[in-house]
Amino acid sequence: MTHKSRSGLARLGPLPWIGPAVLLILVVVVWPVYEMVRTSFLKISTSGFVRGSAGTDKYQKLFDEPDFGHVLTWTVIWTLTVVGLTILISLGLAQLFNQQFPGRRVTRWALIAPWAASVLMTSIGFKWMLNQTAGVLNTAMTDLGLIDKPEDWLGDPSTAWPWMIFVAVFVSLPFTTYTLLAGLQTVPGEVYEAAKVDGTSTWQTYLRITLPLLRPALLVGVVINLINVFNSFPVIWGMTQGGPASDTATTTVFMYQLLNTDMGESAALSVVNFALVVVMVLFFLKVSRWNQEEGR
Amino acid sequence: MNRRVLSLSAICAVGALALTACGSNGGGGGKSADGSVTLKLVAADYGDKATNASKLYWDEVAKGFEAANPKIKVDVQVINWNDIDTQVKTMIQSGNVPDVLQTGGYADKVADDLLYKASDVLSPATQSNFIDSFSKAGQVDGTQYGIPFVSSARAFFYNKTIFSKAGIAAPPTTWDEVKADAQIIKSKKLAATPYALPLGPEEAQGESMIWELGNNGGYTDDSGKYTINSQANIDTFSWLKTNLVDPGLTYANPATTDRKTAFADFAAGKVGMLNGHPSLIQMAKDGKVDYGVAPIPGKTGPLTSTLGVADWMMAFKKNGHQEQIKKFLDFAFSKENTLKFDEEYNLMPVTKDTLQEMTSSGKHKDLEPFFSLLPGAKFYPLGDTTWDAVSAEIKKSGGTAVKDDPAQVLGALQKKAEDAVANK
Amino acid sequence: MSAVQTVAAPRRPGAPSAAAAVRRRTLRPRTVIIAGLAWLLAAVFVLPYVEMVITSLRPADELRDATYLPRHFQWSNLIDVWRESNLGDNLRVTLLVAGGSTLLVLLVALPAAYYTARVRFRGRTLFLLLVLVTQMFQPTSLLVGLYREFYQFGMLNSVWTLILCNGAFNLAFAIWILTAYIGSIPVELEEAAMIDGLGRVGALVRVTLPLALPGVVTAVIFTFIAAWNEFVMGLTLSTVPQSQPLTVGINNFIGNYTVQWNYLFAGSVVAIVPVVILFAFIERHVVSGLTAGSVK
Repeated sequence: MTHKSRSGLARLGPLPWIGPAVLLILVVVVWPVYEMVRTSFLKISTSGFVRGSAGTDKYQKLFDEPDFGHVLTWTVIWTLTVVGLTILISLGLAQLFNQQFPGRRVTRWALIAPWAASVLMTSIGFKWMLNQTAGVLNTAMTDLGLIDKPEDWLGDPSTAWPWMIFVAVFVSLPFTTYTLLAGLQTVPGEVYEAAKVDGTSTWQTYLRITLPLLRPALLVGVVINLINVFNSFPVIWGMTQGGPASDTATTTVFMYQLLNTDMGESAALSVVNFALVVVMVLFFLKVSRWNQEEGR
Repeated sequence: MNRRVLSLSAICAVGALALTACGSNGGGGGKSADGSVTLKLVAADYGDKATNASKLYWDEVAKGFEAANPKIKVDVQVINWNDIDTQVKTMIQSGNVPDVLQTGGYADKVADDLLYKASDVLSPATQSNFIDSFSKAGQVDGTQYGIPFVSSARAFFYNKTIFSKAGIAAPPTTWDEVKADAQIIKSKKLAATPYALPLGPEEAQGESMIWELGNNGGYTDDSGKYTINSQANIDTFSWLKTNLVDPGLTYANPATTDRKTAFADFAAGKVGMLNGHPSLIQMAKDGKVDYGVAPIPGKTGPLTSTLGVADWMMAFKKNGHQEQIKKFLDFAFSKENTLKFDEEYNLMPVTKDTLQEMTSSGKHKDLEPFFSLLPGAKFYPLGDTTWDAVSAEIKKSGGTAVKDDPAQVLGALQKKAEDAVANK
Repeated sequence: MSAVQTVAAPRRPGAPSAAAAVRRRTLRPRTVIIAGLAWLLAAVFVLPYVEMVITSLRPADELRDATYLPRHFQWSNLIDVWRESNLGDNLRVTLLVAGGSTLLVLLVALPAAYYTARVRFRGRTLFLLLVLVTQMFQPTSLLVGLYREFYQFGMLNSVWTLILCNGAFNLAFAIWILTAYIGSIPVELEEAAMIDGLGRVGALVRVTLPLALPGVVTAVIFTFIAAWNEFVMGLTLSTVPQSQPLTVGINNFIGNYTVQWNYLFAGSVVAIVPVVILFAFIERHVVSGLTAGSVK
């Protein structure tokens, strides 16, 4: 009986197991993706009315946008800076919070605050704190003598970018730190004991033993962050809406801005955006030889 | 058995979700079996919290209307101002078109022949009740499609306390006086922002047009052609840049400062003067700011006609509910209803009977300076079917003209406008 | 059982605490520095949210004051906010959506992850690729398609729609973490159970599932938090205040003429607190849950 029914299930193959997942992905993700690609070839008026096919006109229009070049450049700089800083700081944080000290539990809870709060709310909160008239960060920096008078930090791209990068790193730290903390759990204690006996310095131990062992956790952290930061919408939308004009927009935010003027062009940018993520992730996986690790 | 049940239940769960969900109601108007019709109304939210949300108003109107017309139901959907444009576009693209829409612009829908003519959905009595200048602003090529809903006019607000401390006797009437007064306020440190210039994406097109009018400029010439980068307009922005922005007499970055911020600062006594509209009156009162209202200063003298803004009602043809829409609009534009809405949000009327009522009832002393401005107000090129797209571009980047090279910024906008006209 | 635990949750109870005891005796000043630094960082992470709480207690006429604390705290804001918004409805929707999509993700991801971890079936790579691609799309670029689709289903303004959407977009991470976790549980245990006549499903439910609990907890918390904080889909797919999630409801305090910052942040506090509490309870499991994912 048992044997028979098992093979009955086996005969059905993977379908009962992965079928629901595939169905859900097809209905909720793949269908809208198809719609997006279709829309990018349509001529849609500002009222939202579909006037017919546009061929590849919308892609042409997109590439001719005077802002497109610098938006693309900023997106690359934004992604690399935020992911880089996040990983570096998370490495330090993970090391710190892996130590034994009084209050470790409580301080770790504090670390998750930006994770538990919605990113949009955190961003709006920072926008509020940076407000020129009533922002508490302006008040504090003035009192500390860092600035002479309250500044309009988010109004000027040159000061808005550092703050947005700060907030983006801030909200990415909890997840990354926790991933790395998890990675540190896997480093056997004996390794450190052995290193200590050998008289290796702490820094050398870290570079030669800990870091290589953290590699898998790092890969996870980098890939997830690359995707999230590249696609990140709430941080920039919540703080500057990409303005002035499109000076602080990444491709995702620019796409949302284009929604106001040309839905077809906006969809074309979505398609380009997706292509960029795929290329970026594949490139990273290739460089980091993810497959070798997998095939181990 | 056990195992099969589990795997099946996983599939069923998904299936069940889809099925039950399908049972729940979606939007979309249509006739039901008993011949009753559901009208779909989409409107913008003029409130800022649940207790003054426009949804409450429209629910009330719908209730009254349904009681009088048992065969017509009204499905009310109210959307935040920040999101309504995008939402409506998504609706139209998806074919989920409302029957009646109340929002900021109408002409782009005319371009796609989506709307009923105003005369198709208004009784003659209702139509003739509109103030003429607004009816005219609702026309595209001589035919009225846009049905005015509420209006407001812009006027110059100043903080009387700050002005008297600065020793300024009368509000400025020219640009140079604005600058001089702002300098006094700045040098005496009486306000963090002497003149508030909000050119952020929220309302850049409004503040820009007010200043352009001061130099006899504007977005279009008499024939309706876009003249965004006319010499008068370039001069206007150059003046703002060198006389207000660079000397620090206004916000450091007007291009990213929204009207909300400027209003909130004025109501907190942190702004000396700005261009405001009637909704600022209540805010200033709440903030205990002693304010004055004056004509808007122009380059050489006060503006004779100010910027008037109207929000619009429009009726879509797609669902074919012409008769029902007509009944509903006649009901919605009754004096009782429009008066209630205008008073709730301190907005200006667009109908003659309500204007008459508000000016004569004596309850609206605050609004008096604005009533007199209404008849001669100038509007955006609302009847141009490309205006919505052009306006979106101005909102996005118009403000940068006081930071970067004005000629270049306005030139780029002009080019976008011409492209829009070419692709009409 | 104990052997399994070591593999599944490599957080050896013995080793670290012994090492910590040694460290605590010998490196006292170092511990003080570490603890000091950790507490300082914890403060940095929490302060933005403290400022949100302070703002939520400001009276309306003190919102533009550049002070650290209001002259008087208006505690009634926290009560009024429920009346000034549809917070009650919004909270109910958010609870249903977050809970529902978490349940959906578990029901769909668990069988898929289990099968993928255990069986090298035909199309396995294709399936994993589909999952990875899902992770790369963010809903922001698919809004128009999603709206169109659920309009055609007649499912706008429905809690079910948000459950399906949130479930689908969080499926990838859950499948990935569960596959990794289940993969780290020795297959021999299940085989033994299957020989005992439990069959595959029985083995999954009785043996694998309990062992995979930390992984399940991690998947649960990720999905729950992501769904709890989701904004753009809620904004687009529900336009009736009563069917909008909390994030969208809070956003409505940004009006046409004014922003009710105090209510906005009061609402945010209501939204954040439950998640922080939830997280604090299961923080420990998250680290061990992520561990397997980061080893893979």
